[in-house]
This record gives sequence, structure tokens and C-alpha cells, in this order.
Amino acid sequence: MRHFFPGALDFVTGESQPLPTMDFRSALQDEFQRRRRQNPRYSLRAFAHALGTHHRTLSQILRGRRRLTMRTIRRMGSRLLPPSQVAEACIAENCSAILCLVRQHRFRPDARWIAVMAGIPLNSVSIALHRLLHEGRLSMRSTASWVPGRP
Amino acid sequence: MSRPVVRWQIVSPDPNATVRFYRRLFQWETDRANALGYREVPAAEGGMAGGVWPGPEQSQPFVQLFVSVPDLGQHVSRATELGAKVLVPPSVLPDGDTMAVLLDPLRMPFGICTLRDR
Repeated sequence: MRHFFPGALDFVTGESQPLPTMDFRSALQDEFQRRRRQNPRYSLRAFAHALGTHHRTLSQILRGRRRLTMRTIRRMGSRLLPPSQVAEACIAENCSAILCLVRQHRFRPDARWIAVMAGIPLNSVSIALHRLLHEGRLSMRSTASWVPGRP
Repeated sequence: MSRPVVRWQIVSPDPNATVRFYRRLFQWETDRANALGYREVPAAEGGMAGGVWPGPEQSQPFVQLFVSVPDLGQHVSRATELGAKVLVPPSVLPDGDTMAVLLDPLRMPFGICTLRDR
């Protein structure tokens, strides 16, 4: 199995340098294309079946019309990836969701607000914030100002 | 001048289980009434305050110590000169504390912080 989310779980301890992570949607698209290259008759319906979801749902996800939740990533990811990479995919998706919120005018630097607005558990917000700070994708400049990018 | 350790932190892949265990063992209470939802453990008499922070599912739990310094940026620079790596750059937390997390040359993570006056 190809490693979509190469060992970046160690950002907390720094055991290894975090590597660029691919988002789960792109990972699905790549996997679908890979299967189609192997078998040109391989259909979206077959891929959806392999992932345990409906083809319309998968189509919407691949086209970016449907949000990926941790639940969806866990369900689909468990059929494609080792557990560590599924966890990594969830973190990557949560990081993206938080960065979307940070860019909004109404953003509030409050983990509970983020959790509610992004629809992700508070613990997952904490983990994603840690990741974003570590990778320099978010900086906390003052008590009220969080901005994308390095300080 | 010697800088003091002022906080400890347990980073756990299952913070609820961690909190539950230490509450039952040591009667530690946690307070999450802060902007990061951080599980703060107030200092018991003769001890120091700490907290529990969630780590990724696949990670191993560990303890991190935070050393108080008057100038965070200066100490981060000094630490990197001495061979440390920055894991989390200096960040101003919503409650006013400033902290950074580094990896010492022996690859042990530790934090430095400037706590706001309370």
C-alpha cells in the first residue's frame, strides 16, 4: 500500500522531521487514478464500493462538493491506509479546516469556538493547532491574533 | 541566573484516560475553563501546576517540563545555538502566556515559557 501520509505523527516529540502531507481528497483521487491505470474499466462505483460508500457521495467528495469529516476519513481510510496514516489524514484535514476559519473575519482564537465551527472534537483541535504551529502554517502573535504562516 | 521549571505537561494520546487515572490516584482535578480547552492541573500545596495536552492517536505519552524565562525569543535563539531544534516557535497563547517547545540535542522535548502575571 502506498504511503499517503508519511510518518509525520512525530511532530509532538520531534522524532522525525515532518514531511509534507497530502490531503485525503487528493489521496483518494490519486488512488482512483492509479486503479484506473491498472484497469481502465475500473469505475467510480467500484471504487465507492471498495471504500464502503455510495458512488454519489464519493463523487461529491472527489469534486470538493462534500466536506470530509473525521468519521468519513476513518471509514474510507481504514480500507486504504494503515491506522497511523488514517490518523494523519484526520489531522491534515482538521488543520485545513482550522486554517479556513483563521482566514475568516469572524474568527475567534478559542479552541471551543473552533471545535464548534469546524465540527471537530476539542482534542482534535488541540492536536491540529500543535501541528500547525510546528509546521509554521499558523502563528499566534498575540492573545487575540492568530494568522496563517510563520511569525 | 538559574531558570526555574514552572510547569509540567503530560502529552497523552488519550487525555481523558490519563486524567481519569491520576484523578483516582492523586485526586488531581483539572480545569478546562480556558481558551485552548487545556486540561490544567492546579498546583497542589508544595507542588507546581501542570496540565494534560492531547497527542496524536499513535503517539506514546510523555512528560514535558516548562522552564520560565524572561525573554523567550532570546532563549530560543540560545537553545538553537546549543543544538536544540524548535518544535513549536514562540507563540502567544490566548490566555496571555507565551511559550515555545524545543527538542534538546539528546532529542528530548521541553518547553520554555513566559507566564503572564496572574
